[in-house]
Amino acid sequence: MKRIDKTSSLIPQVERGTLIKIFVDGIEIEAYKGETVATALLSAGITTFRLSHKHKKPRGLYCGMGICYECLVTINGIHAQRACITPVEEGMQIETCKELEL
Amino acid sequence: MIETYELAVIGAGPAGMEAAISASENGVKTVIVDNYPQVGGQYFMQLPKTFQADKNTQTEFKGKKLESQLNSLPVTKIQNTLTWAVFKEDNDQNWLVGLYGKDTPKYIRAQNLILANGAYDTPIAFPGWTLPGVITCGAALILLKSQRIKPGTRALVTGTGPLILSVNAHLIAAGVEVVSVCESNQILPKGFRYAPTMLKHWPRIKEGANYLRTIFRGKTPYKMGWSIKEAIGQDHVEKAVITKVDKSGKPISGTQKTFEVDLVVTGYSLTPNTGLARMIGCALDYQPQKGGWIPVRDHNMESSLPGVFIVGDGAAIGGAENAQLEGKIAGTAVAVKTGHLNANIAENFIQQVKPNLRSQQQFGILYGDLFTPQSGLISLATDQTILCRCEEVTFGEIKQAVLMGARTIGEVKMITRTGMGNCQGRMCEHSVNNAVVEALSSELVTHQSIGHYSVRPPLHPIPESYLAEAHIEVD
Ligand code: FES
Repeated sequence: MKRIDKTSSLIPQVERGTLIKIFVDGIEIEAYKGETVATALLSAGITTFRLSHKHKKPRGLYCGMGICYECLVTINGIHAQRACITPVEEGMQIETCKELEL
Repeated sequence: MIETYELAVIGAGPAGMEAAISASENGVKTVIVDNYPQVGGQYFMQLPKTFQADKNTQTEFKGKKLESQLNSLPVTKIQNTLTWAVFKEDNDQNWLVGLYGKDTPKYIRAQNLILANGAYDTPIAFPGWTLPGVITCGAALILLKSQRIKPGTRALVTGTGPLILSVNAHLIAAGVEVVSVCESNQILPKGFRYAPTMLKHWPRIKEGANYLRTIFRGKTPYKMGWSIKEAIGQDHVEKAVITKVDKSGKPISGTQKTFEVDLVVTGYSLTPNTGLARMIGCALDYQPQKGGWIPVRDHNMESSLPGVFIVGDGAAIGGAENAQLEGKIAGTAVAVKTGHLNANIAENFIQQVKPNLRSQQQFGILYGDLFTPQSGLISLATDQTILCRCEEVTFGEIKQAVLMGARTIGEVKMITRTGMGNCQGRMCEHSVNNAVVEALSSELVTHQSIGHYSVRPPLHPIPESYLAEAHIEVD
């Protein structure tokens, strides 16, 4: 999972937002302002965002637009936040695979 | 104090923006509410505000134009905000709209509603579809076009409709290898019948042709009458098995092929997002070629409930241009209803846009005829395959419920808990409906008779504490 560096007519060049640091399960990773939590996690190679309730199976991004609730993570201590529509912020603490009852 | 508007538009994609613009231009006191930080919806998807592009694509350019038109009008914009409920007030003709967002009012009141909630990829279940690395076309396009990341390195794209071609082209542009694009429908030779309609939609065809060219140039195999059969992996997809499917969508045994991939993108056409319409009780009708359960509307886009209009792909799948026209028509109708516009002038306007609308509708018919996900695709799932992702209910458990006597989707829900999770059934309704038909194929049951999930507030899960507070305020 990498950020796109190739440019083309379909995907013209962009200048990303400022580089910030966030923490995922205690480990520092880099992200650009304007990215979502899901983007930052995927870029760092993290694809399991939570475990399913019943069978504890890995789940991650699915719909990408806030309607399936598969991408839930804990953000700054608040459970069950949708990673796909939450923008990253400097110093954000993200926890994956937590108990996620709302 | 709860602010009262003559019109609340929910959703700021192509349809919602046009609706708000038309209404406001005619002097209607309008508010538009949207879930995302930026207007435009999926079609006019924007880059994050903090990203700078030196060039805009043509679609981005059109979206920006529409946005500045909206900004030039006295429309109240409430962004980054979930609409979690709409209530009819007891003693009142108004609608009370429940909102949830940072720094946004908890409620607004509106005399009229225009729902423009867009659509999502129709979820099709197959073994392994809950694995990380299996994502929808919508997700892939957001990651590629707006977030600018590659969702994988080697991909299989599977589904039906033009979106899978767009996803393929964007994946290749980003440097992702695509092993195959599987289109579940046999669109040829049926497609030739539509040549005259297609010629009238030249810009769209050109866009499609460009995407097809990417397929040929990239030598990606585009396989018609094929679908994914299974995604395999431990914690992430590692392999994808594809299969030939018959006309009804059922897999044909002995045709399987396996690819090593780390990404599967699925998009079996689109389903209108009708949650709010269901919540307030708009009449729905089952029309698979228009996206499944869709609201009944008159020529002004008004639903079975007076003062509630539904437009764009959130009402029936028809594409962005159709959505924009519908938005204009509904916005104009509200202007008449609220006494800001003379009915004759409005009628003139309707006559003007009619030819274009009809042409869009013809395209919609073509689209529906070629790209409706076949009901037999339910046979991709095995008894162990999860159909309801939230409550982890399998195809086998649904068959069991049918054996116990369940004949409607509501009864299946009561027995198995399908559709009771966070997504309110959006991810499983299509599969469960087809599963019941499949399980009972010998008896008399139809997609229509099985029915649809009903939706109760909150439309999206929101914190209890917020709800508790919100309720006190209503009382
Ligand atoms: S991926 Fe569906 S809600 Fe985030």
